[in-house]
Amino acid sequence: MQILAEAEDLPKTANIKTQLISLWTAPVFGVVLLIAFLAFPGFFPPMSPDMTAEQVARFYSDHTAMIRFSMITFNLCGVMLLPFFMVIVIQMKRMATQSHIFAYCYLTAAVSGATLFALADIFYLTAAFRPDRSPELVMLLNDMAWMIFIAPVGAFVAMNLLLGLAVFFDNGPNPVFPRWVGYYAIGTALAIAPAASAAVFATGPLAWNGVVSFWLRNGAFALFVIVMFVVLRNVLHRQAVEEGVAR
Amino acid sequence: MSSTISAQTSQSAKVADNGRTPRAGKRDVWLVFWIVPAFYTAFGVIFFALARVMPPPRPDVTTDQMVHFFHAHGLTIKIGFGVLVLIVGGAGVANGIVVYHMKRMTVGSVMAYAYLGSMSIGALPGCLLVAFCFLTAVYRPGRDRQVLALLYDLGLLSYVGSLGCFTTAYFAFAVAILYDRNNIFPKWLAYVSVWQIVTEVLAVPVFVSKAGPFAWNGSIAFWMGTVIFGFWLSCVIVFLMKANERQPVDEPPLD
Repeated sequence: MQILAEAEDLPKTANIKTQLISLWTAPVFGVVLLIAFLAFPGFFPPMSPDMTAEQVARFYSDHTAMIRFSMITFNLCGVMLLPFFMVIVIQMKRMATQSHIFAYCYLTAAVSGATLFALADIFYLTAAFRPDRSPELVMLLNDMAWMIFIAPVGAFVAMNLLLGLAVFFDNGPNPVFPRWVGYYAIGTALAIAPAASAAVFATGPLAWNGVVSFWLRNGAFALFVIVMFVVLRNVLHRQAVEEGVAR
Repeated sequence: MSSTISAQTSQSAKVADNGRTPRAGKRDVWLVFWIVPAFYTAFGVIFFALARVMPPPRPDVTTDQMVHFFHAHGLTIKIGFGVLVLIVGGAGVANGIVVYHMKRMTVGSVMAYAYLGSMSIGALPGCLLVAFCFLTAVYRPGRDRQVLALLYDLGLLSYVGSLGCFTTAYFAFAVAILYDRNNIFPKWLAYVSVWQIVTEVLAVPVFVSKAGPFAWNGSIAFWMGTVIFGFWLSCVIVFLMKANERQPVDEPPLD
């Protein structure tokens, strides 16, 4: 995007620039988070809920360094995805044919979802802090971490349903998002929703290490960030051109 | 303050009608503002004097010593964190007034929302979880010693080691200040906020180190971060005050 020289100092230009900064935090920190994901020794394959307390304790004492590296990275960089979701909020607030109710609900849902992730991360790190504590307690921390990480998908489901609704309600002559983004958001919500079953299932595809609860859930989240990065880049470019900020 | 008043001519015309000098800025914003220093004073008293979380007790102690910590400070933990869970809404007010002034900047709302969101995330792992862990520990002090040790670790690691929520907030704050043309806050406050990010990064080793400068009670991981936070917070309070003073009384409400 090329910012016009005569628009350089205008508030509407700063509005575009701060959104661009927020947008680009997603690929930068996305790569960092991908490295953290690949580095966690308990994701390939994801740790089974069947493991005994001794096995879990041995996992934490055998892989302490990599668990710490991965989870500290998630701790420090995970919330850096939040500005990216706030760009979605700002764009939802640009929708001309509706109140901003979906946008504000999206914002609060994003905060709830990210809070749970930050919480799960602390449980992993506490388990790895003293892996020599009683195996029963290491397993308790590990169970809490997995339970809070995988099962409470409600916030992200709500965010995507709200985004989908907002796109469908945005039916004026100049919609912010293309209509397929609405279907895609609803689809993402549907793909992620079954992971809530990880709260009760201990085996099979719905358990926290299952194909649905782990791979479909996390894959759908990662894909959503990638797809929406491209979508938002185009949306921002169009906003900048419409407002006479860029060409 | 008097110079700001005289600068706003339309306002002083109104003053002449009433015959008394009103304070610059909006009354409701002033009311909210005074909650901020009051809340952080109470916060300091609770965390330093009562709950004994600051400076944090040592990580390199035996299970017995952790249990002893809860026995020795049970009463003050109950008083301190019992009050905290009542007044913790002050943190929401403190974040809210910053978001309000960020929204008055000429940079759009995205950074204000990012600040709002990440500070709200920090409220649970970065502030309240240690209170829940310590309150639960002293609620039944006769509990299994290993369980008490777990609550000790979980509470202190979450309090000192919740990093990303605050780095994101400081990042959003700094970017907003640097792009703002309304000069709501001075530019150098953005660089102090960048130092806040540095202190969060320097606290990373608390998850690894059990003694020395990088442990959760260490000179770098804890003390340096706390001193810079104290400086940053004092600056924010002073400049919130100045932002209030400079705000015209007739500025329309935010959308």
